[in-house]
Amino acid sequence: MHYDIEIPPTADGALEVTIVSWIKNEGDQVSKGQDLAEATTEKITLYVTAPAKGTLTKIFVKVGSKVKVGTVIGSLEGI
Amino acid sequence: MAAGKRMGFWVDLGLMPYAPSFEIQNRVLQARIEGRLAPTVILQENPPIFTIGRSGTRNNILSSPEELRQWGIDVLEVNRGGDVTYHGPGQLVVSPLVYLGDVGLNANQYLHKLEDVLMELLANYDIKTHKTDGFPGVWHEESKIASVGIAVKHGFTFHGFSLNVDPNLDAFNLINPCGVSRMRVSSIYQVLGQAPPMAEVKSQLKEIVERSFKMETRVTSWQDILEHLEC
Repeated sequence: MHYDIEIPPTADGALEVTIVSWIKNEGDQVSKGQDLAEATTEKITLYVTAPAKGTLTKIFVKVGSKVKVGTVIGSLEGI
Repeated sequence: MAAGKRMGFWVDLGLMPYAPSFEIQNRVLQARIEGRLAPTVILQENPPIFTIGRSGTRNNILSSPEELRQWGIDVLEVNRGGDVTYHGPGQLVVSPLVYLGDVGLNANQYLHKLEDVLMELLANYDIKTHKTDGFPGVWHEESKIASVGIAVKHGFTFHGFSLNVDPNLDAFNLINPCGVSRMRVSSIYQVLGQAPPMAEVKSQLKEIVERSFKMETRVTSWQDILEHLEC
């Protein structure tokens, strides 16, 4: 099953965040809830976590890019 | 327990180096995410240290490694939001580990709620404070008296805020606090000419935090929490 990886909706939808790191790489096996990436505003760090166990198949947004909350930044193929 | 209030824990680590105290916070966070622990507020003071948040850079530490050694100040990169700041004795660092869904706030609203908590506390000491657009934290006149910086995982908050009760403010001259050049920093001591007892500040803070986040907390020790988690 395919999953979109989104910036979590724990902040105002209009809020822009910067991807500061990808903790996992394309092709990595991950378990549900595992940290995948970190995004930050000036004072808030948001952790993007795996929606399911599977493989991180694609990273769409590079480190340093600014995106809005809710943006799909990668994809995961569940097991 | 009053109707509609969640029960939680109030854990004062006292003066503890940053790294082990953050390890405790991580363990509490993990237990919160796994549903094994009620909301927990962690308080601490740290020996002198500069922490660099996720938006920060070492370029905002203005002193050389040799100067830092002479001052006895460590440097550590941490995962809260924000840039460089100083922690040291006399500064109260508070980390509420709450679930945003429980408190009915998004991360941005929660950050500003922490500022409201600090402003109410300082008002109790007749210190008039304000927020400044684009510069999160709590300000007295032109000086920052308290900083905020949080992280959120699975909707659970960690990190929080630091309040300058009576730290050595000279240490802030060695950095661009929060990444801002020549930013003025103040403390309760500097404003009032005397510092209230830290125990009194903590007691007032407990009441305000509980009311602000609709919770009641029981004062307990990390050892008790640890025993609870290992059961």
